[in-house]
Amino acid sequence: MIEINHDKCIQCVGCASVCPVLAIELVGLRMKTYPEKCISCRACVRVCPADCIKLVEKKKE
Amino acid sequence: MADYDYDVIIIGGGPAGASMARIAAQNGMGVMIYDKRKELGEPVRCGEGLGEREVLSQRMDIPKQCFSTEILGAKVIAPNGKSIVWKDKDTRGWVLERKMFDKWLVELAVEKGAKVKTYSRVTDLVKKDGKIDGVMVSQWGNEPFEVRAPLVVSAEGMESIVARKAGLRAMSTLYDVDTCYQYEMKPYDHENLIELYFGTDIAPRGYVWIFPKAAKKANVGIGIGGHLTNGKKGGNVEGADPKVLMDRFIEGHPQLKDSSVLEDFGGVISVGAPIESFVKDGFMCIGTAARQVDPIHGGGIALAMETGIMAAGVAAKAHSAKDYSEKMLKEYEGMWRAGPGKKMAKRLLLRKVMEEVNDDDLNHIFNTITDADLQKIMDGNFAGPVAKVVAGRPQLLRVLKALIA
Repeated sequence: MIEINHDKCIQCVGCASVCPVLAIELVGLRMKTYPEKCISCRACVRVCPADCIKLVEKKKE
Repeated sequence: MADYDYDVIIIGGGPAGASMARIAAQNGMGVMIYDKRKELGEPVRCGEGLGEREVLSQRMDIPKQCFSTEILGAKVIAPNGKSIVWKDKDTRGWVLERKMFDKWLVELAVEKGAKVKTYSRVTDLVKKDGKIDGVMVSQWGNEPFEVRAPLVVSAEGMESIVARKAGLRAMSTLYDVDTCYQYEMKPYDHENLIELYFGTDIAPRGYVWIFPKAAKKANVGIGIGGHLTNGKKGGNVEGADPKVLMDRFIEGHPQLKDSSVLEDFGGVISVGAPIESFVKDGFMCIGTAARQVDPIHGGGIALAMETGIMAAGVAAKAHSAKDYSEKMLKEYEGMWRAGPGKKMAKRLLLRKVMEEVNDDDLNHIFNTITDADLQKIMDGNFAGPVAKVVAGRPQLLRVLKALIA
């Protein structure tokens, strides 16, 4: 799954536009992620012009 | 059947949504625009350029506060520094103030009777008996409620989330996007020309642009191929690639290196093909959400306004016929294919061919062609310029022949 550094994010929604599984979208003033959908493909990590997304291990329940 | 809240719900109050809303309302439809942002036009994610031809063709009188400065032409700079200045009908235009422009376009729609609500996010489509019956809307982050309409339009821009929920393939691959970073800077002495810098080291599969603005300001931006980024891991630059390359360009620029930054912008824009299909039963997709974006310069405002108006005409017909079926709405796709779609297909071909050209080739091309050739290329008349380029560098025929096939 991914983690967003909201201090760096500029809400350009570029990540959402390349996410193949709708695991991220702009809600209110912030990007919101849906970890259960994320397939860790890194498309958002690579495309982010603000360098604010990183891939992290899925938390175990 | 009856008791709809609106005839059409448009998701997104950008240039596409606002243009469609204006014409649909003018045609007597009950229109609601929902925009999830707190403020229309914010955040700006764009170079803000708009061609004169597009505006004139729509006979729009853009008020003063919506544009920053006039553009008289373009200056294209090769990797070796050689430049071509090109002033023609395609290069005149304006650099807008998007925040003002977007709001103004929506206000025009409101004056025609459309309604708009900001901070209102469409969370899902509502279907009844398999047919689109409206949307769920969350306002100010509250619990979503249902709003009914027989027609829903995605004008969501690159995010295009509801469009995908409607079953359209409205997403982009890394290869088909450019990731961009931009600063508004001051001071910058300019001659009201758009400047475009090409080169693999400057901007791989993209370019650096300087768009002049009023009061010695400029939008200085970069776009690079999404598939060429490395996102910090495994590549050769540290941090977000477009920003690193942008900062490097500015450090090496005699004037800009001492200029101030007034605003940071970023964004991701489609430079690929439009989505395969723009309509479903009770659903239409317009503008950047449908990837109706120029693959060469990533400009989407003009196409958004054009297709918004097209879609409104078709929606009005559907409204009078009380038939919002895919079959009825398909007319909009036909209009696209016969009009702007044709031009876009040529531009996409040009983009793909340009990807195959290295810096040496680019230097040769810029040494060979004139501003008149550039105009031909932008008009899609490739044969003449290609012949000239290939005459001096026959090995380029292998790549460029795709343009004249």
